[in-house]
Amino acid sequence: MANRKIVSIHSFRGGTGKSNTTANLASQVALAGKRVGIVDTDIQSPGIHVLFGLDETKMGKTINDFLHGKCPVSEVAFNIGERALDSEGRAKLAGMNLWLFPSSIRGREISQILREGYDVNLLNEGFQTILKELQLDYLFIDTHPGLNEETLLSIAISDILIIVLRPDNQDFQGTAVTVDIARSLDVPNLILMVNKALPKYDFADLRKQVENKFHAPVAGVLPLSFDLADNGSKDIFSLQHPDHEWSKALREVAETVLAIK
Amino acid sequence: MAEDIAAQLKNCFLFKGLSDEALAAVAQKASTHTLAEGDVLMRRGETGDSLFMVNEGWFKIVTEDAQGDELIINKTAPGETIGEMALLDEAPRSASAIALTPARVLELKKDAFYEILDQRPDVALTIIRGLSSRLRFSTTYIQKAIDWSQKIAAGDYEFIENTQQALRKTESDDDKAAQLLSAFFQMVRSVKARENDLKEQLERLTLEIDEARRKQEFEDIVGTDFYANLKERAKRLRAQRAASQDEE
Repeated sequence: MANRKIVSIHSFRGGTGKSNTTANLASQVALAGKRVGIVDTDIQSPGIHVLFGLDETKMGKTINDFLHGKCPVSEVAFNIGERALDSEGRAKLAGMNLWLFPSSIRGREISQILREGYDVNLLNEGFQTILKELQLDYLFIDTHPGLNEETLLSIAISDILIIVLRPDNQDFQGTAVTVDIARSLDVPNLILMVNKALPKYDFADLRKQVENKFHAPVAGVLPLSFDLADNGSKDIFSLQHPDHEWSKALREVAETVLAIK
Repeated sequence: MAEDIAAQLKNCFLFKGLSDEALAAVAQKASTHTLAEGDVLMRRGETGDSLFMVNEGWFKIVTEDAQGDELIINKTAPGETIGEMALLDEAPRSASAIALTPARVLELKKDAFYEILDQRPDVALTIIRGLSSRLRFSTTYIQKAIDWSQKIAAGDYEFIENTQQALRKTESDDDKAAQLLSAFFQMVRSVKARENDLKEQLERLTLEIDEARRKQEFEDIVGTDFYANLKERAKRLRAQRAASQDEE
């Protein structure tokens, strides 16, 4: 009996550090010995490939090709455990079972899919195929911010939804709506993660406030970090700097995900 | 005179429990000295060949710090001994002793001390017990200090109030241990206070949600055709996935 899980990472607005969180969480879960896939469904503004050292020259088939019927989804898989080991942090993923399904970064292909749209059913079938063919334990979905149709679909089929929010009133407002939607769609596990919290704030109080407001667990409060910004998305930060406060809090979130049955 | 000395010896921890007859035997070998404030009883580096028992007055035990300035490492009260270690290990005095007040001490010379040890096994045993109980006392406090340090490192300061009260009731009649404890507890209180100050400096962020807007936005989304289908489909998809996983 298999127990495969779809984990969607979502934030209501951009700039919360969602892609960074997805890449680091997926890496930590892979490092724990799990078979992990990451799909970049942020088709309008893809970004997670950069964290895994992928650029246009290294990128082969993309999710866009799959959605346009140009290739099976399995051809999009980029094996990180074998190929993307060219930095201090990523080198720790050598031999791990981690695959990335990148979104195209070509302007023409992005505008084409935005213009023509795509079949969200096909995207869902793609998820199921990936889970089965690669025998994944976890499939992480890096969603587009906001609540458009493909994001709603990703939330709807998730076993675990992680909402990343910054401690400010705009994110709070948007998160409230997302939480309501997730509850209405019966998402089995809803987790909140507060990112970019200024160190001058009382983190314990912040965690309590967020938990009380949304009646959902906060798996981690991660500090705003100049070191992380300085990393400039060049590497998987929690692997490169495992002793950093941000990395420690990130690992707490990964442990929460791993603990869900 | 010897009787006076015997009475004074009784107050000294090293001779606690000795019979009057045994005390008299020790008293015969001891001599009395009177010191004025500021007089030096012993100097650091000298060969130690006597044990002093303080009858009256206070002494400071001093050494020098790296800059050559006087460093007070202890103060002794009546009833305590000074230099007892030198009698046994024959090392030079590790510190100087200077009278803080007019004082009176009993001196027991090394030769006399060894004579007593030879002739009176009962006295020897009492002295050994006294030294050993002091050592055990120190070891106990070192162990406790280790436990407390570990608690402090873990951020747990709850123990200090209870522990200090319990200690007051029981054992801290030893001046040196009491001084160590008092310094230790003072340190913990300062650390705790500093940490509380820091905590208070943390700002509290108050986050608000506009509930009317939240409701409106939710209804805008769930009112669409896409959403109505999605909810049904999501349920079906999850069930399908669960079923196919069960087969694997």
